[in-house]
Amino acid sequence: MARMKFLCDADRCIECNACVTACKNEHEVPWGINRRRVVTINDGKPGERSVSMACMHCTDAPCAAVCPVNCIYTTDDGVVLHSKDLCIGCGYCFYACPFGAPQYPKIGNFGSRGKMDKCTFCAGGPEADGSKEEYEKYGANRLAEGKLPLCAEMCSTKSLLAGDGEIIAQIYKERVMKRGYGSGAWGWKTAYRETIAS
Amino acid sequence: MASLAKCVRLALGAWVLSLMISASVPSIAQQVNPTASAVKEQQLLQELNRIQGRVSIPDQRSGVLEQPAGREWREFRNVTLRWIGGIAILGTLAVLVVFYLACGMVRLQGGRAGRTIVRFSAFERFVHWMTATCFITLAISGLNITFGRPLLLPLIGHEAFSEWSQWAKYAHNYLSFPFTIGVVLIFLMWLGGNIPNKVDVEWIKRGGGIVGHDHPPAYRFNAGQKAVYWIVVIGGAAVAVTGYELMFPFYLSGIEGMQMAQMVHSTVAMLFVAVMLAHIYIGTIGMQGAFEAMGSGTVDANWAKEHHSLWLDEEDARAATNDARSKPAATAAE
Amino acid sequence: MLIRRTQRSESDRRGSVAALLSGQTGGLDRRTFLRRSGLAGGAFAALSTLPLGSVRKAEAAAAGPLTAGATVRKSICTHCSVGCTVTAEVLNGVWIGQEPTWDSPINRGSHCAKGASVRELVHSERRLRYPMKLVGGQWTRVSWETAINEIGDKLLDVREKSGPDSVYWLGSAKMTNEGSYLFRKLGAFWGTNNTDHQARICHSTTVTGVANTWGYGAMTNSFNDIRNAKTQIIMGGNPAEAHPVSLQHLLEGKELQKANFIVIDPRLTRTAAHATEYVRMRPGTDIPVLYGMMWHILQNGWEDKEFIQRRVYGFDDLRKEVEKWNPEEVERVSGVPGEQLKRVAKMLATEKPATLIWAMGQTQKTVGTANVRASCIALLLTGNVGMSGAGANIFRGHDNVQGATDVGLDIVTLPFYYGLAEGAWKHWSRVWEVDYEFLKSRFDSKQIMETPGIPLTRWFEAVTLPKDQVAQKDNVRAVFVQGHASNSITRIPESLKGLKALDLLVIADPHPTTWASLAVEAGRKDSLYVLPIATQFECKGSRVASNRSLQWGEQIVKPIFESKDDLEVIYLMAKKFGFADKMFKNIKVENNLPEAEDILREMNRGSWSTGYCGQSPERLKAHMKNQAKFDFLTMRAPKDDPEVGGDYYGLPWPCWGSPELKHPGTPLLYNTNLSVMDGGGTFRPRFGLEREEKLPDGTTRKVSLLADGSYSRGSEIKDGYPEFTLASLKKLGWDRDLTEAEMATINRINPATPDAVSWSLDLSGGIQRIALMHGCVPYGNGKARMNAFGLPDPIPVHREPIYTPRVDLVAKYPTLPDAKQFRMPNIGFSVQKAAVEKGIAKQFPLILSSGRLVEYEGGGEETRTNPWLAELQQDMFIEISPADAADRGVKDGGWVWVTGAENNSRARMKALVTERVGKGVAWMPFHFGGWFAGRDLRGNYPKGTDPIVLGESANTITTYGYDPATGMQEPKVTLCQIAAA
Repeated sequence: MARMKFLCDADRCIECNACVTACKNEHEVPWGINRRRVVTINDGKPGERSVSMACMHCTDAPCAAVCPVNCIYTTDDGVVLHSKDLCIGCGYCFYACPFGAPQYPKIGNFGSRGKMDKCTFCAGGPEADGSKEEYEKYGANRLAEGKLPLCAEMCSTKSLLAGDGEIIAQIYKERVMKRGYGSGAWGWKTAYRETIAS
Repeated sequence: MASLAKCVRLALGAWVLSLMISASVPSIAQQVNPTASAVKEQQLLQELNRIQGRVSIPDQRSGVLEQPAGREWREFRNVTLRWIGGIAILGTLAVLVVFYLACGMVRLQGGRAGRTIVRFSAFERFVHWMTATCFITLAISGLNITFGRPLLLPLIGHEAFSEWSQWAKYAHNYLSFPFTIGVVLIFLMWLGGNIPNKVDVEWIKRGGGIVGHDHPPAYRFNAGQKAVYWIVVIGGAAVAVTGYELMFPFYLSGIEGMQMAQMVHSTVAMLFVAVMLAHIYIGTIGMQGAFEAMGSGTVDANWAKEHHSLWLDEEDARAATNDARSKPAATAAE
Repeated sequence: MLIRRTQRSESDRRGSVAALLSGQTGGLDRRTFLRRSGLAGGAFAALSTLPLGSVRKAEAAAAGPLTAGATVRKSICTHCSVGCTVTAEVLNGVWIGQEPTWDSPINRGSHCAKGASVRELVHSERRLRYPMKLVGGQWTRVSWETAINEIGDKLLDVREKSGPDSVYWLGSAKMTNEGSYLFRKLGAFWGTNNTDHQARICHSTTVTGVANTWGYGAMTNSFNDIRNAKTQIIMGGNPAEAHPVSLQHLLEGKELQKANFIVIDPRLTRTAAHATEYVRMRPGTDIPVLYGMMWHILQNGWEDKEFIQRRVYGFDDLRKEVEKWNPEEVERVSGVPGEQLKRVAKMLATEKPATLIWAMGQTQKTVGTANVRASCIALLLTGNVGMSGAGANIFRGHDNVQGATDVGLDIVTLPFYYGLAEGAWKHWSRVWEVDYEFLKSRFDSKQIMETPGIPLTRWFEAVTLPKDQVAQKDNVRAVFVQGHASNSITRIPESLKGLKALDLLVIADPHPTTWASLAVEAGRKDSLYVLPIATQFECKGSRVASNRSLQWGEQIVKPIFESKDDLEVIYLMAKKFGFADKMFKNIKVENNLPEAEDILREMNRGSWSTGYCGQSPERLKAHMKNQAKFDFLTMRAPKDDPEVGGDYYGLPWPCWGSPELKHPGTPLLYNTNLSVMDGGGTFRPRFGLEREEKLPDGTTRKVSLLADGSYSRGSEIKDGYPEFTLASLKKLGWDRDLTEAEMATINRINPATPDAVSWSLDLSGGIQRIALMHGCVPYGNGKARMNAFGLPDPIPVHREPIYTPRVDLVAKYPTLPDAKQFRMPNIGFSVQKAAVEKGIAKQFPLILSSGRLVEYEGGGEETRTNPWLAELQQDMFIEISPADAADRGVKDGGWVWVTGAENNSRARMKALVTERVGKGVAWMPFHFGGWFAGRDLRGNYPKGTDPIVLGESANTITTYGYDPATGMQEPKVTLCQIAAA
């Protein structure tokens, strides 16, 4: 079975934020919640690179390991999902996550967290695929429709790749071979404990 | 400590990076090849242990791109903490059980005198019990976060466990306020009686009476109680500060700070719970006549004589003065 | 699978629209997820059997209960000129989702932040919902009927008293071709040439400069073709933010070709971050930098001698100018070291094909026309035009700015660059089937009918200057603006005076825009109307991408609220003025809505000069339907395809002849390697056939302006040739091939001298057909001009910006003398002189430049209203270098006051301390508005229509300066000072 992964080719990313708004559009993500974001390293200096980042759907996901109520799970596709019905908004997944993926709507008093929200790899949640309940809680379920995450599908320069880890790694490897440079598959070592030879 | 080393490393890394950057600052029209000098992920991680950049959204914390430190925290939270908690709490319980089986309840050697004296005023008792109930709730709801998933969840199932944990989280957050107030009041209220002095040395030498067959003398609070007091005050302050840091995310610190806060909070809380188990033991089944102090607020004079002889002397002296001053006399407590 | 999400649209969308209509404006979290409280009992049962750890997805059968029944419609993104196709899913009249358009050969599924969020534009709860007018300072709802009547009466009154030129018709590059064409036609029927649109402030200098070099003022190649370049030089553009999807082609081209990717810019932009070579230059020194490169080319003999000899005029004149720019002088003026320029020059000249890419960095200057001319000259010098992978790849701005320019929504020409001379008016009166005398009677005089109008950059001065300084009957007294921002025009403090003084201001737009908020700020209390216009996703019609491809957009949803299609508003105005019958003689109108297809057909019938004659609505629709068939690299469909066989995608103009001729379009201009019927071409001889040159010894010689031994493949004339007329056909003996009907039409056009009827005036298309038949280009085969005689600077000359920090250079490189242009005085020289004398550069030591952000577009009101975009850029800011910030105690993210060199202008914004800009340079994005001089103008908008994000406009600080050839403003170089607030 395919193991879904994200890969951002920083030598292509131009911080156009299409991934960010595509995500907002597809899932109607409210103001203040950023399931995906683009960070620019070394801004304005030679060597500047931008990287689009969201939940990387880690192997042996740390968020799932530390969740006190065990509401985070990995699907057969390797996608890390969670149940908003079970989530208690404790913030532990955020402490554990290396990528700052979990988001919390600010509800109630003193900065207390609501239900955690994060990138679902456009794969919804535990509810029935494509159901209204699923859409309302987690957004669209593109994977169930045979489509990949919209952020990657709409990426302006095909920098952000999503899909079967082996395939996207192959695409990236070929790119690096062809052009002769590559600043690495950002986050892969941390998320999947592997690197792509470049 | 590891965190200090981390801070140093962070600062050093930032300095090195800034050196590198300043060396490559382009003046007008300086020739550069941005592609050749592209930043590399692993290099940045080695230098700084985290990668941070610029984002346009106001939420600047989202500028942290990658921060693998969460792995160490995960190890602590899932393994280390459970060992610390398990050993501390189960260990204390075991010791208490053994002690109880071996020694039984510490009885009043002279039986009850029948005369009682006031030990804690109504306000003092209110503060104690407010803090105590909060503490118990906080302890249970807190332990649930650490031990609930392996212990309770398999028993009651996901939904019930989540429901319970959600309530527990609310309780933990809201009851933190009266608990903190309680700790502050305890600190102020009993500070006077809890300054360590020479008598404590003797008390400790004699193990509070366990060594030998008589009770060492003590003022209102003996060294053991003073220890509990200071544990409550310092431990309470520590869990309160770290707890609020977690409850108000990012007001005081970033993720690393919050990871540290969680480690301090949970470790202190575990030890706190262990100590409080002992406190509860002595205040209840461990010692005859002790519970009354916080129950009715009065204690038997013999109990006072055995455990707090110096305090009893003081109280008696004060009562005598009062008697002399105001007639007809009334006993301090009936 | 393309459809999904049923229930959501019905319940959620309908609910929200209903709430809007009832006047409730929800908060930002109107559509937040339903957060199921963990306490809700109902959550339990449903999940009681959830196996965690590894949840097996329910089988795919469940996919799409939310998707059934939706239809898919395609339109074009309205945000930039790349021309990305937007695929929309529509259910029950509601736009419920966007999908990537894999089939489009232009964007291959991709979008940028703006394109990926266009759905929100249509559903925005902050759009104008109904017409409103300002009554005694209060916004009041009116009906469309009342609005059109009152506006019409007022305009007729102004016309009566001051003449038709006192009404300024400001149109938009946001309109479809059909909309902008109709708007220009409205101006013609109204009787004025004061009809303009965004191209004035975007690429007017490109259009003029480039057309004056080789014939047409447009991007020569395509985004896709840049993949073939071995050297890409981006000078004065930041496509990573302004045209993000183009970077897909640029970066892939860079990778596949191992191409040089050179960025020459004052800022280390997001584009420059990917450069193989980045050249930092002082803003406003494009010509010295380009000449600096040419100096090395000539010095080393790298120029393409054969190309120059066969296809270029004026090389010797150029050489003389270039010789002045030795490396020392170039570095002194621009700051770029000679060694680096030598390296870049060598790549341009020897690692071919090389392309030069530019946008507003070159155009928005007082020397804009000269800048783009210098760029063209660099390409001519190195033989980098007219072939794959080379060319002047000029990235236009708005989605249809190329189209709106082509259809003549402009002050200097009728549609399709026919100009304003009597012949042009007669041509269009024939196309429109109205009497020339009628059109003439609509104007104040024949003379003013043939005089270019006032550029939109000067509209406020046309209102406020003394009457005798404005060369028309009276000042401008009313402005009708349909789809143009006010905050993208420089000198806002000055424009406030105009906003106050106007007799009438009409804003027709989906949003009230800064026209409304600034007019109220200026003190207007009455005679201000806002009319809600539909977004282009609610309209159908054709748009032209930067590469000259036409794309047909379907109507995705019907106009929401009370908003109306552009075409309908134009029709209603024409009807009110009483000439609708004449103006829409050949256009079907249903329920006041003119049919877009008919308008395009009318354009097809009249646009021979530019080759818009072959793109019938049917062909364009077939292209959209068959997008997948076009090759990604060549953009051509297989020859055997029944519907679009052999066509280039979007039939990039010129697409010669009638639609039946099936010309495939011209993907690369001036490409002699292809035959004309395959999209080949030659340089256009537009400026005479020969020129008399004075020699140093006092004698003169005649030099031919026709190509010398160069011709497009398969041409039967194997040398240069002039444009085709009936006379020239006769000379060649080709006139016999004309059909009788064609001859009859030609005779009807000019009964007196049919021989003079040319390829561009022949409404039958016969002359074009014959030329093409013989492999010839209808417009002829000439030389490109290095010396563009007729322009203010025939050979580009460096001139310092009006406000320059280098006062020491002004004496040697002054701006052009004061003159009268476009009915207005241009006193740039006096302003520059006064600035030097007053020591402005000491008071305002920082160079201020401006540009685009990826999240916003143009004046930004529409995009700042879109929460998905607005969230990403919430504050107006100014970029300042760490050194300059340290000098001023300015902190990153801290508030600062920026002060400008004119009108005591000041603006409050956040500082962004960054090394993107060099020391001495500051940079602002130009999309913000709704603040003025530190004041928040949110209250000035009609209730509920204020954009989410407001901020100071960059143009509050910008200053005087107009290109003499086009009236282009100068927002890219001025001076400012920054202080911590």
